[in-house]
Amino acid sequence: MNVTITNQDNKTLVVLDGRLDTSNADQFQQDIAPLMEGDKPDIDIDCTAMSYTSSQGLRLFLMLQKSVMARGGKMVMRNMNPQVKEVFDITGFSNIITII
Amino acid sequence: MKKRFNPIKDKSSEIIEFLMASPDMPEDEALRFKLRLSIEEAVENVVRYAYDGGIGWLEAGTSLDHDSLILTIELRDAGVPFNPLEKGDPDITLSAEEREIGGLGIFLCKKMMDSIQYRYEDGNNILTMTKKV
Repeated sequence: MNVTITNQDNKTLVVLDGRLDTSNADQFQQDIAPLMEGDKPDIDIDCTAMSYTSSQGLRLFLMLQKSVMARGGKMVMRNMNPQVKEVFDITGFSNIITII
Repeated sequence: MKKRFNPIKDKSSEIIEFLMASPDMPEDEALRFKLRLSIEEAVENVVRYAYDGGIGWLEAGTSLDHDSLILTIELRDAGVPFNPLEKGDPDITLSAEEREIGGLGIFLCKKMMDSIQYRYEDGNNILTMTKKV
């Protein structure tokens, strides 16, 4: 899973590319560490090229969502493929994370 | 086909890829996504929790009934007796603040597969998952 983070004006743009699973979840957690800092974050995550996530990935997205809310910020995930979106739907994550 | 992995510490990816490469697996990408997810969650459960420090074996296998097109995935280990299906499903209606981090793996298996069964036999945990392919 490649993670590209770009800060633009007051927004943080994140592009995810690849598979997020048990083999790379620890690396992913390190990669998104910068998103866990700062007041009132405004994070936009492009999921177009994210091909897969397991519960290991969901765990980290929930952790990030909780962190963003605790800091009074907002986060959206966009353009998930139908299979990834189904994982978010089945687990109720679509109700707690803004997916567009 | 089946294969015994021993020890299984840090072998999750190898076990998952072994099963995904089985000739019994379908080619349809959407189905493969569901199967990969179920396999990853079930294998990870054994690798993390069955043995102290991951020192032990796991036998992973697939079989396909060519008449009914029902694919069976079986995982067997000799670790601590543990029925993952006994754990209650997570409450998916809770808010982000209330949701606990974790506990989703076996729930996803249940949702993605057609059936999932556990039995303890001859000192082995045996998890059997099926899916019409």
